[in-house]
Amino acid sequence: MIASLSRNTPVIVQGITGRMGLTHAALMRGYGTNIVGGTSNRTDTKEAAGVPVFVNCRAAVLATGAVVSVAMAPPMETLGAVEEALAAGIRLIVTVAEGIPLHDAMRIGRAVRRAGATWIGGSTPGLAIPGEIKLGFLPDVCLRPGPFGIMSKSGTLSYECGYRLVQAGFGQSIWVGVGGDQVKGVRFADLLPVFFADPRTRAIILVGEVGGNEEEECAALLQRLAGRKPVYALIAGREAKEGVSMGHAGALVLGEAGSLTSKTHCLTAAGARVFGSIESLIDACVQDLT
Amino acid sequence: MLLIEADGKALLAEHGIDVPAAVPTINATLGDLQGKARGTSLPGTGPWMVKAQVPVGGRGKAGGIVRCDTPQEAVAAVSGLLGQRLKGHKVDVCLVEQSVTGDERYLAVMVDPASYGLRVIYSVQGGVDIEQSMATQSRLSPPHPASVAEALADLVANEPAYRRSHIIATGRRLAGLLLQCELALAEINPLFVSDDGCVAGDAKLVVDLSAVERQPRIAALLEARPQSYADANRKLTEGFDYVEIDPEGEIGLVTTGAGLSMMLIDELAARGMKPLNFCDIRTGQMRGSPERVMHVLTWITERPSLRAVLVSVFAGITDLGEFGGLLATGLEQTPALRVPVVARLVGRGAAEARRILADRHPGMQVTEDLEEALSSVAAIAGEPRA
Repeated sequence: MIASLSRNTPVIVQGITGRMGLTHAALMRGYGTNIVGGTSNRTDTKEAAGVPVFVNCRAAVLATGAVVSVAMAPPMETLGAVEEALAAGIRLIVTVAEGIPLHDAMRIGRAVRRAGATWIGGSTPGLAIPGEIKLGFLPDVCLRPGPFGIMSKSGTLSYECGYRLVQAGFGQSIWVGVGGDQVKGVRFADLLPVFFADPRTRAIILVGEVGGNEEEECAALLQRLAGRKPVYALIAGREAKEGVSMGHAGALVLGEAGSLTSKTHCLTAAGARVFGSIESLIDACVQDLT
Repeated sequence: MLLIEADGKALLAEHGIDVPAAVPTINATLGDLQGKARGTSLPGTGPWMVKAQVPVGGRGKAGGIVRCDTPQEAVAAVSGLLGQRLKGHKVDVCLVEQSVTGDERYLAVMVDPASYGLRVIYSVQGGVDIEQSMATQSRLSPPHPASVAEALADLVANEPAYRRSHIIATGRRLAGLLLQCELALAEINPLFVSDDGCVAGDAKLVVDLSAVERQPRIAALLEARPQSYADANRKLTEGFDYVEIDPEGEIGLVTTGAGLSMMLIDELAARGMKPLNFCDIRTGQMRGSPERVMHVLTWITERPSLRAVLVSVFAGITDLGEFGGLLATGLEQTPALRVPVVARLVGRGAAEARRILADRHPGMQVTEDLEEALSSVAAIAGEPRA
């Protein structure tokens, strides 16, 4: 589903009349995303950001044929927003909220899996196929069509990488913010086959951070798939304080589990190159593909 | 976020899991303990375990757990540990506990992110080295206590029959606790198992700060210990993340974005500098108020070791013109801040931000280049202290 997204994919914004919804619906449209409508609890609003506003996802999907939703819902309301979208037949949903309760995220994950849909988030700036579509709020200055597939737990750290790629004259094929939560939708390992199969992607940049085992899981798959495209990895949090979440709920180190050592070891053993600074990562990427 | 053991055990006890008799002790109550020591009214008859209450694993190896055979030893151990730093955390509370005997097992229930369910983990080799243990086994389970109990039944199949039901009941209660309190992890290591039943020798409970507003019991635990949970309480009251990494750090950070802030800390440390804090100030939520900037500047200024402040904002959506004004105001409102500030501002409105800062803080270095900002901060930190 992710690789086939394009400028033609019909997209709705849940919560389009809110502060975030209005701003980002307009910015996404400005980028070229085919925003066909939005939903809102406000029954007095018929139009927002230049598209029709519906009372719920079902009405929006029936009227517009939307298959993708960007949910601009607060964290405590994200579960409800996803359930509504799935019931309406949405096939891919991006939830940007930071701070979705962990056990809500489990419920979201189970519901999405039952529906056979795709979920990106939470705590994510979303995803983009530069030149085609942007779902969420990846900054335009960082986006440019190019050969690098980016997957990242962190928004800002990936902006930094994307921006420097653009400055160096490169760009991205598919960019997915998997988000900084512990329980989430699409994970690093889910994206590896997407990048391998995508002809636009020549190399992969993995921006990880301490906590959880997503990097290790991705490394195991990389090893099995025998690394058909080079993987460059940057892992933040070497100096993280143990036992305390570093901003992202998922960035929690307990003993050896989730530590930088474990992630670096697994990724390196699987053939990925792991870097200690943004500059060294970008230098290597640029050098190898020039 | 990890609860300290004393609070974890309080929750275990409330959910029907046995814990050893214990007395939590802080500096102010050390006198009580000494009084009790004379009258030997410590919990139980001894020997005792004195345990530093810091939210990290491996406390035993780090010297945070002391076995004491006499009341005098227990008091000495407590006064020795209080105020110490253990793996980056200050010891504000010690737990004095009746030691327990039994076979040491490992039992944990945790959220399994990949399956959207729970994972129940069991090992016959309980103790501190569980991560290296080859005896650890686990099963996935749907998020229901009865399912966890069923999964655990497989894992304890080799235990003596009369002990199995105790262990399974403990696991079921542990799962109930995890689900009811919306925990990420509930671990007991060691779990002392004897013919009389199971007693939790330790408690490692990880709470979800995103769920605290609908978890009054967890909220009360956090509120009751402002010192032990300083970072969590700050997040809950301020609405953004600030974690003190090193109270003797030299570089204060005013940054947005968790990943980038973590990376900056790593890059500063790699250059031999001592970062003071992690900070995800979330410029997008400041809504025209300099309050967050002022709070962060005040907290970092409170540390006398501060040498320089690094501001770094990559603005995708945020208007840096507005942020530049808020930063200028924040600096003016923090007169105690007397160290150089280097600002790296890139993105929407960067030129306007530079103009505002040049006007209101002429001496301040403002750049778009992160590497340049890091070099400048390194140069300041490398200068002899004034």
